[in-house]
Amino acid sequence: MKYTFDFASLQEYWPEFLRGALMTLEMTAIATVLGMVIGVLCAIGRRGKRPWLAALCGAYVEVVRNTPYLIQIFFIFFGLASAGLKLPIFAAAILTMVFNVGAYTAEIVRAGMDTIHPGQIEAAEALGLSVPQIYWDVILRPALERVYPSLTGQFVLMMLSSSVTSQISAEELTGVANSVQSESFRSFETFIVVAVLYFLMAMLLKFAFFLVGQAMFPRRRRLGTPL
Amino acid sequence: MRIRKLLAATVTAVTALWLAAAPVAAKADVLDDVMKAKKIRIAVAMGIPLFAFVDKNVKATGSDVETARMLAKDMGVELELVEITNAARVPTVQTRKADLLIATLAITPERKKVIDFSVPYATLDIIVAAPADIAIKGYEDLVGKKIGLTRATVNDSLVTKNAKGAEILRFEDDATLITALVSGQVDIVSSQTTAIAAINERRTQSPLKVKFTQQELNLGMAMAQGEDRLREWVNKWIKTNVDNGRLNAVFSSFHDRDLPADLTSR
Repeated sequence: MKYTFDFASLQEYWPEFLRGALMTLEMTAIATVLGMVIGVLCAIGRRGKRPWLAALCGAYVEVVRNTPYLIQIFFIFFGLASAGLKLPIFAAAILTMVFNVGAYTAEIVRAGMDTIHPGQIEAAEALGLSVPQIYWDVILRPALERVYPSLTGQFVLMMLSSSVTSQISAEELTGVANSVQSESFRSFETFIVVAVLYFLMAMLLKFAFFLVGQAMFPRRRRLGTPL
Repeated sequence: MRIRKLLAATVTAVTALWLAAAPVAAKADVLDDVMKAKKIRIAVAMGIPLFAFVDKNVKATGSDVETARMLAKDMGVELELVEITNAARVPTVQTRKADLLIATLAITPERKKVIDFSVPYATLDIIVAAPADIAIKGYEDLVGKKIGLTRATVNDSLVTKNAKGAEILRFEDDATLITALVSGQVDIVSSQTTAIAAINERRTQSPLKVKFTQQELNLGMAMAQGEDRLREWVNKWIKTNVDNGRLNAVFSSFHDRDLPADLTSR
């Protein structure tokens, strides 16, 4: 095996790499926010008192967590089009990401909610707090604070697995990489560059989550201890 | 300290092994290796209608696959099919994951810089197709429209270069591209005539019509650079079997057309 590395020939593709990385980040940002909303709602639904809603949320979680992401992508992308709904690629890719990460988020959030002692909720009720107040201040905030590390890990993982959306022609970083390597024929170098970019993006994402965490959990910010 | 020493020793040993193995691998002759192992690894890109696909009995077939079978048989060795995607074709040859590649790969000057080609063994017309009600006469009519194609193909480079301003959807293989067209995610396509038939079989509403021919491509078998003995053997085999009609028989049994008469002299 003799191989001479040639990164210089990739220089002209730099704008393409940046465009791809930017698209990956955009998709991740939108999917994180929407996935979080779906995850929290689904976790509440699964813990709630309505059996049909709990069953529905449970079914969604089980279906998503027990099928491959790629199959979900094809199912949504081709399935929707067959049903007459033609989404732009960007929207379709984000939809698949939200659909996927929502289920994982739901389970993580549900685990966090389960750690809240029933006595605390009863105490809140006894103090006359409203239902939204109980859910936000007594259940959700401490729950999220507890599971925050696994949550952020899941979203970083989602960013990495968004590379699969190149299969449905989303021009994110991996899609760009496939094009670049087929034009430059420097596949080894291309994928090294892309791996480094993904790593940097993951670090960036982690830092962003750290800042959000600092803003969202003042108790942790001041004390610096786990809940 | 001991652990560090052990680690250093391991690294040295691995490096030494790697260095020792390197010149051997570089000097080895693939044709000799194939003959010695009695096995040739031929890469095919599955999911290309008529060239390489899975038939009703889930068996790999198509003109590329059958050509590979014939070549291995004539060589007197066992065939190992290496199934890859379109974008992996050139890297597969470069990194020697296969001894030979028969995967609808067009001979282009860019590719010639990094891999070696045989003389042409088949041809392929690449075209732009769309439903009848979309008016397209040339690349300029594609501007502002969505067009689907398979990544890392000549279609990709031609459309990318000539239709600036078109929204290009690049799929990783023909099978996914065809599903996208059948499900209606995209209506305009740059592909080969053979794929259009496969699409229209399942796309009964607004079937695709060929709008214009982009290019006639000469397809070559590909091998790593410097494997001159293998290339000579393959060239001779192609010429012999084009002349005696065996290659044409395989080709026309899938494509319903004959190979051009001047094929191997192109």
